[in-house]
Amino acid sequence: MRVGIVGTGFMGRTHAAGWAATPAVIGGFVGKTAVSAAELAQQTNNRTYANFDEMLADVDAVDICAPTHLHHEMVLRAAAAGKHIVCEKPLARTLEQAQEMMAACEAAGVKLLVAHVVRFFPEYALAKQKVDAGEIGETAVIRLKRGAFQPKKAADNWFVDFEKSGGMMLDLMIHDFDYARWVAGDVIQVYAKNISGSQPDAAVDHGLAILTHQNGAISHVEGSWAYPPPLFRTRLEIAGDNGLIQFDSGQMMAVGIYLHQQVEDAPDVPLPGSPLSEDPYTTQIKAFYDYLVNDKAVRVTAVDGYKALQIALAAIQSAQTGQPVKIGEALS
Amino acid sequence: MKIGIMSFAHLHAEAYIGNLRAIPGVEMIGIADDNLERGQKFARRFDAHLFPSYEALLAEEPDGVLVCSENANHRSLVEMAAGAGVHVLCEKPLATTREDAQAIIAAGRSAGVILMTAFPMRFSAPLQQLKARLDAGDLGQVYCLNTTNQGQMPIAHRRWFVDKELAGGGTMMDHIVHLADIFNWFFGRDLDSVYAQSNHILHADAVDVETGGLIMLQYANGLFMTIDSSWSKPLNYPTWGGLTMELVTERGLTVVDAFSQNLNIYRQEPPANQWAYWGSDMNQAMIEEFVAAIREGRETAVTGEDGLFALEVVLAAYESAKTNQPAQLETGN
Repeated sequence: MRVGIVGTGFMGRTHAAGWAATPAVIGGFVGKTAVSAAELAQQTNNRTYANFDEMLADVDAVDICAPTHLHHEMVLRAAAAGKHIVCEKPLARTLEQAQEMMAACEAAGVKLLVAHVVRFFPEYALAKQKVDAGEIGETAVIRLKRGAFQPKKAADNWFVDFEKSGGMMLDLMIHDFDYARWVAGDVIQVYAKNISGSQPDAAVDHGLAILTHQNGAISHVEGSWAYPPPLFRTRLEIAGDNGLIQFDSGQMMAVGIYLHQQVEDAPDVPLPGSPLSEDPYTTQIKAFYDYLVNDKAVRVTAVDGYKALQIALAAIQSAQTGQPVKIGEALS
Repeated sequence: MKIGIMSFAHLHAEAYIGNLRAIPGVEMIGIADDNLERGQKFARRFDAHLFPSYEALLAEEPDGVLVCSENANHRSLVEMAAGAGVHVLCEKPLATTREDAQAIIAAGRSAGVILMTAFPMRFSAPLQQLKARLDAGDLGQVYCLNTTNQGQMPIAHRRWFVDKELAGGGTMMDHIVHLADIFNWFFGRDLDSVYAQSNHILHADAVDVETGGLIMLQYANGLFMTIDSSWSKPLNYPTWGGLTMELVTERGLTVVDAFSQNLNIYRQEPPANQWAYWGSDMNQAMIEEFVAAIREGRETAVTGEDGLFALEVVLAAYESAKTNQPAQLETGN
């Protein structure tokens, strides 16, 4: 299988390393600028394509690591060209876009995957496995945190453009919306607030959301683009009627390195990083490869991506209106 | 100064009796309890005089009493004590209904006695340090808080803690008030709305009150915060629970774990792991404030109105959990 990677920012580079660990052949890259693509292509001994169409003509699958607002058009074009698709999260900027993308892939008979990588992080995967094994009984209250600083970009920082990224709740909190749903099932009501709603002039954003699951469980989800760089913390807590699972990246630290450094030394995008023999992003890409090539079951589907999008958009709407938002009929 | 304790229904009385005895010039005159067996048990355990009735205790003309009854019985005991002209420190929550809380405040006011609500977190050294930093402006504008007051399901401590009538509810009645009072202390009472979702999955077979609760509060100035009030600490957790706050402010992040002053102890035999607390005793500081206010003839740092405000937040949370809509607060001021 030949795969082409769209986007040569942080995620494009990370996914390229993942594909390099599979039997797939990286056909090459398309970047926003020829320079960025050429640089990455050189590092990975690959070529660059002049444009997306040239890539589509050369590969079996595309991996879309482009900004969120571009997912829709790219997926439609890739589906029309009959290519399998891996799409970064969030699946799309709007539900209508996501529906159209999923319908187009189904009609074209191509596979669509969405990269909710948290499901491949070993601490999150193990917690889910323990819950499924019944080790803490029935899930009652879930608490999830993902806190960092606002992503930086040398130019054109689409992350901070709400129309393009959907803001912190869609870009960052969607990880934990997806995880909460993975653990406790479908969500029926969302209530959320964020700083960008309550203090529009603030330079940072931070959100708190309360999810009500269909089975009665409740989840508290916290996301932040408000921490001082380079602080990045994730935390999970799952309380069941027979026990409690806790993980805190601030306490579980296999290696701690504290250097005299400037804030500018912080990476553009915070990367979770407990030392592991295999990067979870690579674990994810390997699973995607097995699904695309060998039809092996995969732990996150486009429908999951769609439902995570539903929750995130509901949270944004709740933060804007001050009212709880009910989740619409599940897409079957 | 003479102080007595009315009812040992609340386990905090077990700490307060020692706190009273540690204050120079204070005579702990004894205890009374409408549950004779309970009164005898604790009188014996703490080597305290047991009065045959509340009336008999009040007939000794104490300067003040601590009311540590079941939540729903606070009103009758406070009215009785205030009617006798005795200053009152009442356990939290002040009452289980707005009507009772207002009657308690009115009783104190008409008798001209001190009415203090027992909110010990006001006397927590870590929280006092945070309050000082906030007041000094060190943290900049506060945008939002993520807070928890989780604990073990308290049936093992006192069965009435999980009785809807006597306690007034479950985990939301038990655990919202402390944080609601901290918000009142830090940010005032100009609260707009309260949203809450609760459930009954943890200990579902053991109790019939809610055991899980997540609450979101919205202040008029845009400040918002969540509370996790769940009884989600397993019964073999190394400690009873805890109170945490994470504040996101203009200047960054402030993390508070108010009871994180412990030794971690591991043993070969159960309990295998326990946390031994070495932090400052906030109950002692709270009881000393009550005694000092009586001596100095002044209001206490925490009043009956503060108790009513915290109860209003709880009642709004129950209303919201029932309607699934945010409840507007009636008494923003």
